[in-house]
Amino acid sequence: MQLDVGDGQVDAAWVNSPLYRGFEQILLGKIPDDALVYAPRVCGICSVSQSVAAAFALGDAYRAETPPNGVLALDLIHAAENLIDHLTHFYLFFMPDFARPEYTAQPWHADIHARFRAIEGSAAPEFLQARTAFMHLMGLLAGKWPHSLAIQPGGCTRAVSARERLHLGNIVGAFRRFLEQRVFAAPLDEIVALDGRDALLHWQAAQAGQPGDLARFLALGEALELHTLGRAADRFMSFGAYREADGAPLFARGVWRDGGLDSLDVDGIAEDVSHSWMAGDTAPPRTARTLPDPGREGAYTWCKAPRLHGEAVEVGALARQLVDGHPLIRDLVAATGGNVLTRVVARLLESARILLAMQRWTDALIPGEPFHNPAAPLADAEGIGLTEAARGSLGHWVRIEGGRIRNYQIVSPTTWNFSPRDAAGQPGALEQALTGTPVDSPRHPRKIAVQHVVRSFDPCMVCTAH
Amino acid sequence: MAIETFYDVMRRQGISRRSFLKFCSLTATTLGLSPAFVPKIAWAMENTPRTPVLWMHGLECTCCSESFIRSGNPLAKDVILSMISLDYDDTLMASAGFQAEACMEEAIAKYKGNYILAVEGNPPLNEDGMFCITGGKPFIEKLRHAAKHAKHVIAWGACASWGCVQAARPNPTRATPIHKVLDNPVIKVPGCPPIAEVMTGVITYMLTFGHPPELDRQGRPKMFYGQRNHDKCYRRAHFDAGEFVESWDDQGAREGYCLYKMGCKGPTTYNACSTIRWNGDTSWPVHSGHGCFGCSENGFWDKGSFYDRLTDIHAFGIDANANQIGGTAAAVVGGGVAAHAAVTAVVRARRNSKNKKQHDDHSGDNNA
Repeated sequence: MQLDVGDGQVDAAWVNSPLYRGFEQILLGKIPDDALVYAPRVCGICSVSQSVAAAFALGDAYRAETPPNGVLALDLIHAAENLIDHLTHFYLFFMPDFARPEYTAQPWHADIHARFRAIEGSAAPEFLQARTAFMHLMGLLAGKWPHSLAIQPGGCTRAVSARERLHLGNIVGAFRRFLEQRVFAAPLDEIVALDGRDALLHWQAAQAGQPGDLARFLALGEALELHTLGRAADRFMSFGAYREADGAPLFARGVWRDGGLDSLDVDGIAEDVSHSWMAGDTAPPRTARTLPDPGREGAYTWCKAPRLHGEAVEVGALARQLVDGHPLIRDLVAATGGNVLTRVVARLLESARILLAMQRWTDALIPGEPFHNPAAPLADAEGIGLTEAARGSLGHWVRIEGGRIRNYQIVSPTTWNFSPRDAAGQPGALEQALTGTPVDSPRHPRKIAVQHVVRSFDPCMVCTAH
Repeated sequence: MAIETFYDVMRRQGISRRSFLKFCSLTATTLGLSPAFVPKIAWAMENTPRTPVLWMHGLECTCCSESFIRSGNPLAKDVILSMISLDYDDTLMASAGFQAEACMEEAIAKYKGNYILAVEGNPPLNEDGMFCITGGKPFIEKLRHAAKHAKHVIAWGACASWGCVQAARPNPTRATPIHKVLDNPVIKVPGCPPIAEVMTGVITYMLTFGHPPELDRQGRPKMFYGQRNHDKCYRRAHFDAGEFVESWDDQGAREGYCLYKMGCKGPTTYNACSTIRWNGDTSWPVHSGHGCFGCSENGFWDKGSFYDRLTDIHAFGIDANANQIGGTAAAVVGGGVAAHAAVTAVVRARRNSKNKKQHDDHSGDNNA
């Protein structure tokens, strides 16, 4: 990352992704189903999201019909990963930054240091243990994680018996207890019912004495004014995620811009490469190529710059909850916009919503009914797979000719958030969010505010350029 | 205090003596050692100076780190995490950016010749290494620099061991396994990712005994990679009986039939998945109704489609200790399948006539 610093704050930022592996090049000419094995390896953190996008893209191409059990099983596997990603980010990456020596003089530091310091704080082992137990759900449904193979066009290879459904219920229930005892120190229903900033403040005040980790973070957010850090353009996009048993999405699809909701036109997506080490011109993923060109003039990253109708958008939990219309998030963003504080609150709120949905889905599984409907691969077809990873909108575009992959393009969440400038000079979401960040103020010494802003996006570098 | 031992570190982390002894006995079990080794492990932990572990990341997807921190036995993971302290790990350490680079240099200087270097991912050699720049330098430079003073080098996962997904044809970045660019002997712990308990097991063995475990000819610890997944697969009886899954979630799948016809590479894959299993012994890919795809084997990306049934006899014998045995096994497997193919149709027809009640009763068998 390159920062122009003047007058105690960041004047301009250039975000660089220094890693490229070439998935889109490697997939060319392969048997389409093999994409199910390649795609998850884009990322070991959100491999299920990549699997789901690949299975959706191939399922779209093959016109596969997924039975209700298959929908629910994929939801459960996918939701488990996204939920655990949110909390991994919170406990292992985001909060430990506040335990750093830069903040030693702050009155809250001793408590935060004891609870959140990297690896050794009291939260990390507690969380890792709860996480490991929760991930047994992945074992039961998906065989192994990361990089499950159970997710296929048309459903899941794993049928759940009545006894296993009970086991799944126990696993989800145990994790709910962890959320209700440690993360929120409150019933989940109480968290998802918070309907605005006042309700949140009121709830936080009632937490004093025996605070959960959300309340700890809110107090920290207030002390450090985290709502003043990391605001981008306040344009948000969500592809929508998960399906209820009746087929309706749990989180809606759409775009939030100028303080209002728009429908999403997927054909409006194109990737600009004017500042990327890539050959070619701006193109929609359906026809785009990914060919490295390390000599490209003016380029500074391997990351492409996806744009929606020419505009840079932000993706992630905040975008999902805004687009879906959760009143707490709508109210917070109306007050202070998208920023470090609202991104983290949205992630934790979403964790509560996901867990409640997982309990519903587990109950809705019908042992004995099919989990997978076979679909015949077509020799010539096109497909799009859109879903939401923890970090935001993820899309796979596939074209099959003569039974082989003719084109495969992947646009990952961090590609949107960490995109470089485009031909019009418009910076990506993080580049915008960093502008104006204080670099050495009394409240945020030694560039630590920059770190909070970057981390608030929960970036995933291996996904970005892939 | 003169020297810091593993035990000192553990106690400092608040791990009780009772938990420590439990860890020693679990370690002995994982490593396949008799209970007589428990006091030996405990003695080594209490008396051997702590060996630091530096953990580096090249071209990779972080799945090895993910696997490691989710070791099914929480005690093992906590002990290992505190034991090795991950003196340098881009992903898990507290520091970031230039501060992280400084930590690395400090660790190399301080423990010169006495640290374990664990490498996740690999260096790309095309375009002078610019497909993977960390700390402002091509990863290959950083890797060579750190390896130069390492006591042992471990290749975590298929990326470091064989090249893995980014080295699949046409390997646009020229991603290269680390043993091809380093002079050090490399202990390979392949898999995509490797099983968490295998990772913690290999490190604990080295820390306890001061030397790497016995390796096969390809550099993999024999204790974990000495057998094929097929050898201990719980569906093996169905293979022998000629009962095969024909499509995902069909009746055969629900009865736990063999996945060979769906492309399972268990018969040619040397790994511990069918014995140690994944996610805290909950499961493994074959248990999820999908075949093994051979992720611990060299070149597994470029052996044809993952959904083709194994037909290439040459695919066998990739492991050194399978030189002779492998050939025989290949012949047996090949012949077995030809014979079984016809049988399966008959078996399937018979199964289809079974009543639904029985199917429901059997559906739980997948969890064997």
